[in-house]
Amino acid sequence: MKYSEIIKLNNELEGGINLPEYKIFILSNIMVHQSKDICEYLLRVEGVNASVLLGEYDNVVQDSAKLQNVNAVVIFWEVCNFFDGLQYKINTLSKTEFQNIIEKIKLEIDLVFNNLNKIPLVLVNKFSSLVFNQFGLSSNRINKLEKDLNLYLEGRINANIKIIDIDKVISKLSIKSSVDLRYYYSSKTLYSVEFYKVYFEHIKPIFLSATGKIKKVLIFDCDNTLWKGVLGEDGFDHIKIYQEVQYLALELSKQGVIIGLCSKNNPEDVDKVLSNHPDMILGDDNIVIKKVNWNDKVSNLKSIAQDLNVGLDSLVFVDDSSFEIELIRSLLPEVKCFQVPVKEFEYGLMMRELSNLFYNPSRTKEDVQKVQIYKDQIQRSNYKSGSIKDYLTSLGLIITVRIDDLTQVSRIAQLTQKTNQFNLTTKRYTENDIEAFIKEKDKAVISINIHDKFGDYGLTGLAILDNAESMIDTLLLSCRVLGRDIEYSFMDIIMSIVKNKGNSELRSQYIKTNRNQQVVDFYDRIGFSKTDEINDNSQYNLVVDNYKTRDIKYIEVKKWKIELNK
Amino acid sequence: MEDRIKQVMSDVFNIDVNSINNDASTSNTESWDSLKHMNLIIALEEEFNIEFTDEEIIDSMNYALILNIIEAK
Repeated sequence: MKYSEIIKLNNELEGGINLPEYKIFILSNIMVHQSKDICEYLLRVEGVNASVLLGEYDNVVQDSAKLQNVNAVVIFWEVCNFFDGLQYKINTLSKTEFQNIIEKIKLEIDLVFNNLNKIPLVLVNKFSSLVFNQFGLSSNRINKLEKDLNLYLEGRINANIKIIDIDKVISKLSIKSSVDLRYYYSSKTLYSVEFYKVYFEHIKPIFLSATGKIKKVLIFDCDNTLWKGVLGEDGFDHIKIYQEVQYLALELSKQGVIIGLCSKNNPEDVDKVLSNHPDMILGDDNIVIKKVNWNDKVSNLKSIAQDLNVGLDSLVFVDDSSFEIELIRSLLPEVKCFQVPVKEFEYGLMMRELSNLFYNPSRTKEDVQKVQIYKDQIQRSNYKSGSIKDYLTSLGLIITVRIDDLTQVSRIAQLTQKTNQFNLTTKRYTENDIEAFIKEKDKAVISINIHDKFGDYGLTGLAILDNAESMIDTLLLSCRVLGRDIEYSFMDIIMSIVKNKGNSELRSQYIKTNRNQQVVDFYDRIGFSKTDEINDNSQYNLVVDNYKTRDIKYIEVKKWKIELNK
Repeated sequence: MEDRIKQVMSDVFNIDVNSINNDASTSNTESWDSLKHMNLIIALEEEFNIEFTDEEIIDSMNYALILNIIEAK
């Protein structure tokens, strides 16, 4: 948008927002006159009744002492204008003169921050030397000045002070577009209007957060948004999960952003992807709300806002379809919409950009969570590099075994329906089937709950034994608990039950599907012998006494009731 | 072009576009001060994708001169 249009629209918005004024005072040692309308406009269109006041030219310290009843302060403190001509004089100064300048600025920083300690929000730009130092091959005094002062700045931060990395804005635009040296030399106006547009857009989330206008909910469409492809047409096996986007959404979710779905799809198809697709990052653990149906998205987004008890202006919506985006923009203008870029490689950047809308100033809370993410990452890489036992030991894994527990029927049936990867026979059973098995004298339905120090994974493993046939009918583990050697402990448990039954041999089978390749040799690994192989069906046999108990030290098996007396 | 120049002036000075006539200048336009003048030049440069020289910035203190300068570019 052109500067003149911004001025015009800003004037139109003035006085039209029925909220208390949000006063922003801009302190500077350069001329920043064009910042006023641009800053006000960008905030006013978001419903913030912003009013920008400009300090006197090069009066940062003096102005800071006078400020009262101001909501926020922005400081433009340009290295090149600490004194007139710094950029060409500084390298010719004596060592003492140079040192004195550094000390003087540090003192001024202290004074200013002290003067502003009652201001709720102070944004100070990091000292930048890009403009006049862009050609320097070796480090010079401007670099040193910049570095020293930035370090000093970092050390002076209080809760109310945020440092803005202005170089990010300049890089985004290029130095050439960010500054207008013509105006710098004629009137100390360094930055262009282009710069201010990008700069205030960049810091806007901080003001939105301070005025309670920050976004809270991130809603995704599914097809061509969370994954590439159309689930209903291409099918489960042919969609490609957008992992980068999902990881970025997961990161937001860990910072407290509510993640939701709004998609025209069969709900059961999407649920299947959420719980079973091996590449999915987001799942029911992080997706708080789902509107997966064939209703229009306007109604769905409205009901999402209602269900969550937030305003429509708290929602951000991502969809690939320009039809849907335009529909939402015209009917629900409060909802911030993002369209998945046509160029797939730009999607990740778009996600990073929209992440700013969820800006969360409580850095400490965020940092703690970040640490946890890094920890998990480190643990995962340790796991891969071979110190698997240490990692698994540190988890404190506990298996709780239940046999023929009628209270678990629905979860057990669900597991047989949903589990694909670690599932030796992939037999799908209904709740009625499971209930019948539990009541049947010659069947044993063995389920396990997994728990570790991070929490409960729930009922995530199942074996169905046919004692009459001395056969493992079903053996499965939810993908949530794979990679922890649970399967070996589980086999120990199963074998001890079989022994109790008095069977001398145990048969089993592996039925190959598209998804259970990872257990193709599971029975071979634990000592069964293959007796037959017809097409996708392999038969196995084991002399029970020959079974070698794994007795995995880092998995505790909790007391379990054996109720074989039906 | 005349209309576009006047529209930009109207936007920057926050005055009615019809109040800007061909003899508008810094002396008879109340909000046309030195700071607004700079905003005006920046806005005109952006609108017409041109660049004023230093002399032109100083010279363009009335509508007629601005029109001359932009027409010459």
